[in-house]
Amino acid sequence: MNWWIILAVVAVMLAARWRKAGMLAWAVAWLLGMWVAMRYGFVVPVPASVIKIYMGIVVLSLIAYVLTDKDRIAEFWGPIEAFVTEPRYRLLLAATVLLIPAAVAYQIYAGMTAIPNAPFFARTVHPAPPDSITVHGSELALGTADNPYRELEETSPEEFEQRLENGRKIYFQNCFYCHGDLMGGAGMYAHALNPIPTNFQDPGTIAMFREAFLFWRISKGAPGLPEEGGPWQSAMPAWESFLTEEEMWDVIIFLYDFTDYKPRAVEMH
Amino acid sequence: MCGTSYLRVALVLLVLPVAAQAQDATDELGQQVYTKWCAHCHGEEGDGNGVAASRLKPLPRDFTSGKYKIRMTTTGNIPTDQDLTDAIRRGLYGTSMPAFTAAYLSDAEVAAVVGYIKSFSDWFEDPERQNPETITIPDPPPYDPEAARTTGRQVYEETGCARCHGELGRGDGPSAPTLVDDWGNNIKVADLTMPWTFRGGGTRRDIFRSMSTGFYGTPMPGFHDNLGATPEESQQRMWAIVDYMLSLAGGPMEEGETPYANVLRSVPFGDEIDLENAELFAEAPPATFPLFGQIVEPGRNFYPSAVAVTAQAVHSESEIAFRLTWNDMRAETGGTNGPDLIAPKWDEHLAEIGQAGAASGDTDEGGDFWGEEATEDDEGGDFWGAEEEEAADEGGGDFWGEEAAEEDADGDDFWGEEDGAEEAPLSGTLDTEFSDAFALQFPLQKPEGVRQPYFLFGDAQNPVDLWFVDLAKPSKTVRYQGRGSAAMSPAEGGEDVEVVAGYDQGEWSVIFKRKRKSRGGLSFDEDSFLPIAFSVWDGFNRERGNKRGLSSWYQVYVEPSERPSPVGPMVRAGATVLGLELLFIALVRRRKGKKNS
Ligand code: HEC
Ligand code: HEC
Ligand code: HEC
Repeated sequence: MNWWIILAVVAVMLAARWRKAGMLAWAVAWLLGMWVAMRYGFVVPVPASVIKIYMGIVVLSLIAYVLTDKDRIAEFWGPIEAFVTEPRYRLLLAATVLLIPAAVAYQIYAGMTAIPNAPFFARTVHPAPPDSITVHGSELALGTADNPYRELEETSPEEFEQRLENGRKIYFQNCFYCHGDLMGGAGMYAHALNPIPTNFQDPGTIAMFREAFLFWRISKGAPGLPEEGGPWQSAMPAWESFLTEEEMWDVIIFLYDFTDYKPRAVEMH
Repeated sequence: MCGTSYLRVALVLLVLPVAAQAQDATDELGQQVYTKWCAHCHGEEGDGNGVAASRLKPLPRDFTSGKYKIRMTTTGNIPTDQDLTDAIRRGLYGTSMPAFTAAYLSDAEVAAVVGYIKSFSDWFEDPERQNPETITIPDPPPYDPEAARTTGRQVYEETGCARCHGELGRGDGPSAPTLVDDWGNNIKVADLTMPWTFRGGGTRRDIFRSMSTGFYGTPMPGFHDNLGATPEESQQRMWAIVDYMLSLAGGPMEEGETPYANVLRSVPFGDEIDLENAELFAEAPPATFPLFGQIVEPGRNFYPSAVAVTAQAVHSESEIAFRLTWNDMRAETGGTNGPDLIAPKWDEHLAEIGQAGAASGDTDEGGDFWGEEATEDDEGGDFWGAEEEEAADEGGGDFWGEEAAEEDADGDDFWGEEDGAEEAPLSGTLDTEFSDAFALQFPLQKPEGVRQPYFLFGDAQNPVDLWFVDLAKPSKTVRYQGRGSAAMSPAEGGEDVEVVAGYDQGEWSVIFKRKRKSRGGLSFDEDSFLPIAFSVWDGFNRERGNKRGLSSWYQVYVEPSERPSPVGPMVRAGATVLGLELLFIALVRRRKGKKNS
């Protein structure tokens, strides 16, 4: 939420109430206020189609509100009638009458000369993994598998430290070109990739998953994605062609350590 | 007097331990930050030998040398703390050196790590190197594209930049292949047509600074106050060169801005597409696409040569033509290339170029300059490297300044003198084992919906159609059908695609032409979007097969030659709305009139 925008909108509405603005001005203020709040009030932009639907609802409610009361109708209609009939508005009226068709014509011009949008594929970023995968000849049930070296953290901190160091080396010899030196997804090649590499610092990525999910994504890469994940366009390599299973578990340990996230635990049955 | 000095001593004794403690804490913080965020590249010891270094070019900086590229201090000097802070906060564009923004490191942490990296070199302790001279950047004059192209270019040529950077700044100067840095590594000359890849940034002020102070440790000289008789004149000429560079890139850019596109528009062009016609692409809008090294499948290419490719397209009733250009330091037109050649694994590649313990005897195959020649240079002592070092060691004097003075004195052209010595074996094109090559990639069939073939040469169900040209035989296209990089087979119908290619002043240009409709391949129908991707092979970098520079999928949009005119619908809609308005007004007025009467 962009709280400043929302606050500004609320302030304008309150001012309209306080100054006892006419019904027409009040309706217009609502319409504009809702639009501004929706269009600029959110950090992640709301899609245009959703805004359209909501604005439709706002218009209908305003109409309903005005029509349910005689006084409101009169208050709403008064200024419009005055604008259309009173001679002192004549110039403004003429301008308005001409501007509206011009705007409509321009809309049509822009629509007909613009280049259409390229087809867009909305990929599923985190599709469901298969039940099991086979990596270097051994099968792994993803539902129950866990990082075999995770327990070393408790049982043998020294060996765990070694694994971590190894994971760091693997990451900085293979992964950072895309996922970035800082794991923020902004590696030196990221600008040339579509979809962009995952930002591991984002709480919506590795922090949400169990280590086996990562093992699947890392070993099988983009080619291992189901169709809804867009396996043809992601550059995520299938690391089984470069790394051993051990190395993949090590790099997973490093991903969590570097970002200070914890993997989700395997649910106990 | 005595009293006060006792007091002072007492005070110092009191304060010292506290200050020392604070200093210790800062050192420790600096070391912590360094170990977590920097050591894997710059090395635990600060020598640039982190675990990532073997797969990076340019190499991470060796902090033990005290030599820094991006400084406000004049040639041969250590940087200020602010310079180091800026490098860490902004990163070095076009390299792996990331920008450590406030989301990652606090101001205190950056300050601590600056102190820590300084501790690797005793230059920062050396009393003679303290308080280095710094430059100030004057306010830039307004950007004038016309002056940039004329005066700017003239000054650029007079100053001798072209010797390294090439006449048109494309990084193809005659000295370019011979340049090494102070660590004996070959160094790629900056391509001045791409300011967004400049290490020190591509804004006007950034370029002014880089040119003024030079890049210490590299052959890039500093020209501070050196381009004219007075500092003012020098600054004027400096701005002229800066703007000439920006005119090559299409004008000044904002910090961090890149010119990359997603869609290539093919525009209608008359009735006939004649590849000899110099005006063929004059009206076609260029679109630039970024390339990256193929590091997804075996045969990885950790530092591809080509950074971007620029495409244009035109079509007639029956044909379509694509023009592709990219910059290359040298044209390799000997040897062969092909998308189906076996690319070496990374360790094989290192062995090939004589690193990683491989016998250094097999360097005579004229291959990878960036790897191989470096070792040679180490022994032979490269002119550029050696000179720089000497000059620097003499106490930080401006190498160029001195030389320039000499040059003036005896009227000899400094640049000219060396030409003879060095250029002979390098002029013209190089004969290498692998030639330069290029390929356009399309799906073999029109994709259903959004499903495309795997962008790396296709997959088993969704093959790609590759229009490949080996630039050693630049008048012949070979078409490949790709079902994955291990399943590339030459396809029928290569002759369907005509090609002409040429190399000029550091730029390769390849033009393909084909019928818009074809039996074995895509149809380029008007008003449709089709996936397109690019591959560039640089023979100089021993790229072949899957070792290449490549792009993701982008789209080519074939514009309709006849668009319905918008005038009719515009007039109709406008008139309708106007009519409704007038009706509304009339009704309202009538009602009011009735009410009143
Ligand atoms: C050539 C670029 C590239 C390299 C190199 C690369 N990745 Fe990726 N990776 C991607 C892209 C692009 C995505 C996002 C698209 C996708 O999910 O496939 C991704 C996704 C992932 C994901 C899925 C995260 C999620 O939230 O679903 C993981 C885990 C991952 N990468 C780990 C790694 C590891 C570990 C390495 C190194 C061993 C690595 N990647 C190297 C490009 C790369
Ligand atoms: C992924 C590798 C990588 C990481 C991580 C990295 N650097 Fe660098 N850094 C580089 C490379 C590569 C260069 C040299 C680029 C060049 O010379 O063009 C460089 C150059 C520098 C420079 C020299 C700038 C100049 O003016 O010459 C400084 C200072 C620097 N790094 C500081 C740091 C610090 C501090 C950190 C950690 C907080 C860090 N780097 C982390 C790769 C890295
Ligand atoms: C002796 C060869 C040589 C000469 C002469 C030379 N340069 Fe350079 N220049 C280089 C090299 C090598 C680099 C790349 C340095 C690097 O990447 O660290 C470079 C880099 C640059 C850069 C990029 C800076 C950045 O931030 O990455 C600019 C701009 C530049 N040169 C401009 C010029 C101009 C303008 C001239 C003439 C006034 C000139 N150079 C003369 C060798 C030279």
